Amino acid sequence: MNRALYASATGMAAQQQNLDVIADNLANADVMGFKNAQATFAQIGGDAFLGTAATGVRHVFSQGKLVRSGGPFDVAIDGAGFFALERAGERAYTRAGAFSRAADGTVRNADGWTLHGARIPPAATSVTVAADGLVSGTVNGKPATFGRLRLVDFAAPEKLRSLGSALFAATPAAGVPHGVAAGGDRQPKLVFGALEKSNVSIIESMMAILAAQRAYEANAKGVQAADEMLRIANNLHRS
Amino acid sequence: MDGIELMATAMHAAKARLDVSADNLANVSSDGFHKRVARATLGPAGLIATSNPDPAPGPLRHTGRPFDLAAVGGTLAVRGRDGRAETLRSGSFARDDAGRLLDERGRMLLSARGAPVLAGPDASIDARGVVRDGTGRTVAQLKLPPGTTVQSGFLEGPNVDAVHEMVDVLDAQRAFETAQKTLSALDEERQKDANDVARVKS
Repeated sequence: MNRALYASATGMAAQQQNLDVIADNLANADVMGFKNAQATFAQIGGDAFLGTAATGVRHVFSQGKLVRSGGPFDVAIDGAGFFALERAGERAYTRAGAFSRAADGTVRNADGWTLHGARIPPAATSVTVAADGLVSGTVNGKPATFGRLRLVDFAAPEKLRSLGSALFAATPAAGVPHGVAAGGDRQPKLVFGALEKSNVSIIESMMAILAAQRAYEANAKGVQAADEMLRIANNLHRS
Repeated sequence: MDGIELMATAMHAAKARLDVSADNLANVSSDGFHKRVARATLGPAGLIATSNPDPAPGPLRHTGRPFDLAAVGGTLAVRGRDGRAETLRSGSFARDDAGRLLDERGRMLLSARGAPVLAGPDASIDARGVVRDGTGRTVAQLKLPPGTTVQSGFLEGPNVDAVHEMVDVLDAQRAFETAQKTLSALDEERQKDANDVARVKS
């Protein structure tokens, strides 16, 4: 009896976790560069009927739609890859490309993460980024280049650890970050003046919520049935 | 076997059926899970419930990830970290730094020659299990039984129907209740036999 009771309880816990992940996706549906996450589950105990357990959260790195934007230094990635960021010696990776130029020449996002590869003097004007990452502009009326934005990628990006919103940290399972060339045929391209929307589908998320809710109810029924059977078994003894 | 013993085995059988259905229900979101089907048979030892895996395929779900694979009508060959060879109907694979394709439990996908499949980030896998690199060059052939179709970008969901399982849960519960009621009735009768039939009128 207890096996059924506990198996159903693991089913309820699993759907609760599932719902948490879906709710997080929905909450971030309007965050630029956010990637949809999915909780994955697997059977535990095999034929011992112990129920289910979460095996992890998998991010889906499909391309989000690119939209024109008016930010001072917005860059989107059309294709695979990540921007490499650094803050206080810490590394992170993102596809959210809303940056701005700081007074010291670095390029940063709103949370203070610095983008690798470019230093732009404050005097520079009409700064732009080419498809291959080359940053150029004019200083005192003369054309100049300010370095190149470098993209990195991972063997298994879906194994990256989420640091919240659209930021990710490297993990051993994801592999070592390696540089990827941009701009050529079959290579990712950088698009200046654009941002990548999240790849969360509101409709799919709503459907997933309904499915999770129904599965939760079904497992609750399992708990109820197991409990009821225990009660019946206890009533075998007539007083 | 007397009636009371028989009803006790019926209660055990109903409980075993509930265990199976509860486990199936708990795994309604586990990809690649195959439900078990319980069956009760009446024999010399009373009512015994056994369960067997249901080989029916689960629904294919589109994921769009190139290394999510579903083998329709066959299996994929993988080898675990402990060196044990296994077959899977469906798996979500990811490349490691060496280019091997590992599933969520770290099992690697095998080629027809029994070696790990090595794939680049832009590799693709066609319906016959041919692995090609970004330029279209063949790099490996998956180990597949004849007649298998590989669907890249799809995962096989569990073959659990929640409504069906819920009906089974209720059915098992009621069967348990019936057996218990019958057992109690038999017990009462026996109590009468023991206490009242042989009573001497005073």
